[in-house]
Amino acid sequence: MAGKWQLKDHEAEQRLFNRRLITAAVLIFLFFAALVVQLVYLQIYQFDYFSARSDGNRLHSQYVPPARGLIFDRNGELLADNQPIFNLTIVREQIEDLEGTLEYLSTLIRLSEDDIEQFNTRLQRNRVPFSSVPLRYVLNDEEKSRIAVNSHLLPGIAIEPQFVRQYPLADLTAHSLGYVSEINREELDSLNDEEKENYGGTNHIGKTGIERTYEDILHGTVGYEIVEKNNRGQVMRYLDRTDPVAGKNITLHMDAQLQRAAEEALGELRGAVVAIEPATGGIIAMVSKPAFDPNLFVTGISSKDYGVLVTDEVNTRLFDRTTNPYPPGSTIKPFLGLGGLHHELVDYEFAIHDPGYFRLPGVSYRWGDWTLRTRIGGGHEHTDLQKAIFQSCNTFFFDLGNRMGIDTIHSFMSQFGFGDNFAVDVSYARTGVLPSREWKMASRGEPWYPGDTINSSIGQGLMWATPLQLATAASIIANKGEVIQPRMLKAIEEQPFEPLVENAVPDVMLNDPDYWRYIEEAMTMVVHRPYSTEFRDYGSAYPEIAQKDPDMSYMLAGKSGTAQAVGISQDVLSSTDIVVSDLNKDHALFIAFAPAMNSHIAPQIALAVFVENGESGGGAAGPIAKQLTDKYLLDILQIDFEALNEVVPPEQPEVNVLVSEADE
Amino acid sequence: MNNQDFIRQSTGFYTPPSRAQTIWRIIHTDPPLLVGIVLLCAFGLFVLYSASDGDQAVVQRQALIMLAGLVLMFIVSQFSPHFFRRWAPSLYGVGLALLLIVLVIGVEENGARSWLDLPGLPSFQPSETLKIVVPLLMAWYLASRPLPPRFKHLFWSAVMILIPAALIVVQNDTGTAIMVAMSGIFVVLLAGIRWRIVFAGFFALLFASPAWYLFLAQEHQKNRILTFFNPYRDPTGSGYNIIQSQIAIGSGGVYGKGFGNGAQSHLDFIPESNTDFILAVLAEEFGLLGVLFLICLYLFVLVRGFYIAYHAKDMFSRLLAGSITLTFFFYVFINMAMVSGLVPVIGLPLPLISRGGTAILTLFIGFGLLMSIQTHGRARAK
Repeated sequence: MAGKWQLKDHEAEQRLFNRRLITAAVLIFLFFAALVVQLVYLQIYQFDYFSARSDGNRLHSQYVPPARGLIFDRNGELLADNQPIFNLTIVREQIEDLEGTLEYLSTLIRLSEDDIEQFNTRLQRNRVPFSSVPLRYVLNDEEKSRIAVNSHLLPGIAIEPQFVRQYPLADLTAHSLGYVSEINREELDSLNDEEKENYGGTNHIGKTGIERTYEDILHGTVGYEIVEKNNRGQVMRYLDRTDPVAGKNITLHMDAQLQRAAEEALGELRGAVVAIEPATGGIIAMVSKPAFDPNLFVTGISSKDYGVLVTDEVNTRLFDRTTNPYPPGSTIKPFLGLGGLHHELVDYEFAIHDPGYFRLPGVSYRWGDWTLRTRIGGGHEHTDLQKAIFQSCNTFFFDLGNRMGIDTIHSFMSQFGFGDNFAVDVSYARTGVLPSREWKMASRGEPWYPGDTINSSIGQGLMWATPLQLATAASIIANKGEVIQPRMLKAIEEQPFEPLVENAVPDVMLNDPDYWRYIEEAMTMVVHRPYSTEFRDYGSAYPEIAQKDPDMSYMLAGKSGTAQAVGISQDVLSSTDIVVSDLNKDHALFIAFAPAMNSHIAPQIALAVFVENGESGGGAAGPIAKQLTDKYLLDILQIDFEALNEVVPPEQPEVNVLVSEADE
Repeated sequence: MNNQDFIRQSTGFYTPPSRAQTIWRIIHTDPPLLVGIVLLCAFGLFVLYSASDGDQAVVQRQALIMLAGLVLMFIVSQFSPHFFRRWAPSLYGVGLALLLIVLVIGVEENGARSWLDLPGLPSFQPSETLKIVVPLLMAWYLASRPLPPRFKHLFWSAVMILIPAALIVVQNDTGTAIMVAMSGIFVVLLAGIRWRIVFAGFFALLFASPAWYLFLAQEHQKNRILTFFNPYRDPTGSGYNIIQSQIAIGSGGVYGKGFGNGAQSHLDFIPESNTDFILAVLAEEFGLLGVLFLICLYLFVLVRGFYIAYHAKDMFSRLLAGSITLTFFFYVFINMAMVSGLVPVIGLPLPLISRGGTAILTLFIGFGLLMSIQTHGRARAK
């Protein structure tokens, strides 16, 4: 040790150490100075920027979707409700391994390929970063608790409650009410910026029917809230809120009881019923069968369920038969008859002698009456206009149509809404075809042939009408020419809905208003004229309606129609699992209104019944119409016709005379 | 050895110690240092209370550890520096032995196999104690050799520093290894190693770093370097910590958002808000003024450390006191610079503020040594 000590110079070493210490102190000072500069830079110079970033981190503006307006029927029965469901949602940004997470989730809850596929399309849509995207709708209680228990393993996954549409009547209102479903890309793109903003918190939009027509009224206005979220996206505090304005509740003219009755009356048949209140034009029933469950669409229909709906080419459940055109057949005869009277081509005395067929001058082809197809054959012999209607004599109308000419037919019939859509709020209804020379040239490039007129005079050939149009036209007869425009909406939030109808359709004016009574009488005979000793002198629907219910307390005016089924797709015809002969059967139609010929009370209901491949208008569709007028007049409105007749003694003897004549 | 006392006596600077001073001397405690440490601890607990979202348990545990630290500091200060000088080699040997034991039966935590869980003892990190033991040994070694140290002494110094550092690297705890190495290197620097060697070493490291980056660095280390240069390279991944921490600091402004109002910290945007990134909480809630206050507290402790080193009686004490003070500074600076984005993220806590265990106790042992140096020198001088 001594040697070493000798070598040490303590003074110099201490000076060296102190110099180093001072150097270190200076460096420390410099380092701290650098730190302070950085802090000043961050906290003063960049304060505004980082403040904004900090607020951006924690403050989130989120949409508060409005509650969708409810839909009621005329008696306040709920047709469309909002029900809470629980959805599994994912915040994509918070998930590292999406594949793995989905795989794990599928061990906890039912998760189909479909769900994942739909989730992926939702992800690809434009969306706000860190927003939650639904993966599975409608979790049940068990699934909810499984997710809740494992939530620590599932960051970015949450269960969110949501109010969705629910249709208590399900299939019953599928077509008329329509349904809401997830907004798709095209629908989003078609919105303007303001509307897009309004749909910020909404997943659903009305796709069909009323839900679509009155989307603006039902949707409401989106609200906003400013929330503070933590780094896991959990809402910690609500800071500000603009309440959404709920969509308005609407009331429809529809009568759920009648709707139900129409559905039951159609039973297993394919077809449609449209019933209108003639005084208002309110559509009180609108049923198309077979239908589908609209609730399936609300939370995203699975492709399996959808496949079933679209591949069923016979039942075509998605197809709305109430607004689809079919050949109207003989149901147009009362209208053509009115035209004949108005244009003075026939009068009450005019009659033809019907040999059972019609032949155009100089043409050898014979247009046969339906009587040709019966075993007895023969025609209707002496036939005036009323008989031509209650016996549905084709020959009479072949002759009348031929003499009217297509131009007159077109201009007269169009007053009743044929070839047009009179409906105020059924914009999706098709217009069918009321043929004319111009129409044929424009659509087919062919001139009009006289034979076309003959076919059109009995509602065949080029003529097409929807059940909605037929019900509308029936209402106009029931109203004696006062045109009503069919409508679904009755009131918005209890306020009666008075639509501003542009270009309101003028009423049908006839030379002599008595023509209305004459035709109404003829239509009443269709149902009520019994068999007599005369050959073919009974109402064509008598056997199926009045004969079966001799105690009918009111008169039903009607007209049957039987139209040849056309346009069945080749796919359907060539398919092996369908009895094709059924599909070739004629369509059955029936238009009606009631009570008819009643001096105390105006007609309360006008309707059209369509039965696809029902064969006979009087046989298949007539009884359905009767069932519904019974239901509506006797059960729902509870009109006591006997009491009515007693209280006010009948004033118009003519009516009684006619009935007594018919009774003979 | 007695030069200083002699000078003071002869020049009249010497004033007899007051009664109070004498009492502090007897219980071997340095009042200014104690005040600085206690203030830091109190401020630390205060910030931790907010950072842990008012979690009483966390704050209580931290307070207990600090109390234990103060007791440990007091115990350490009772021993004279010469005691530690005498036992330095043995302590070094024990330290190395513990490191070797850890390699065999160590417990892994947070990716580093550096914990020793002996029955009957609370689990602790032997590598932490090396932060004290290495400067002890270096001061022991260099104090008795002529300064500035000669090349062969530097060589052995390097060996003595690198052996424990290497063992800690093997444990996969690079951060601690760097700290242990730095605590030794500070001794060598203070011992007057030639500047040209210092610069040569510095540049050698600088030029070697690309090679390290290319061939040796692990993926997460590379990520940290890349993130340092551009945090927005991966804003939700490796860049998240530093981005959120800068947002917290920046949004604090001059005056801060107020105690308990730090949105960034209370909404969990700041990761590790109780430990490495606690400065971000402080800066957000107390603003620039709060951070400057903390820096002042640290500076106070550092200045006192320098004072003690400057006035120490012998070279061993000087080197040891200097190294402990510089190591303390290094901790403080690296953490603050890392949280504010001046250096890449290295997992180091903010001394006396961050939540911690062994690391806090190690700090107090260091303070105990400083107090021992300050209070024993003169008493022994007679």
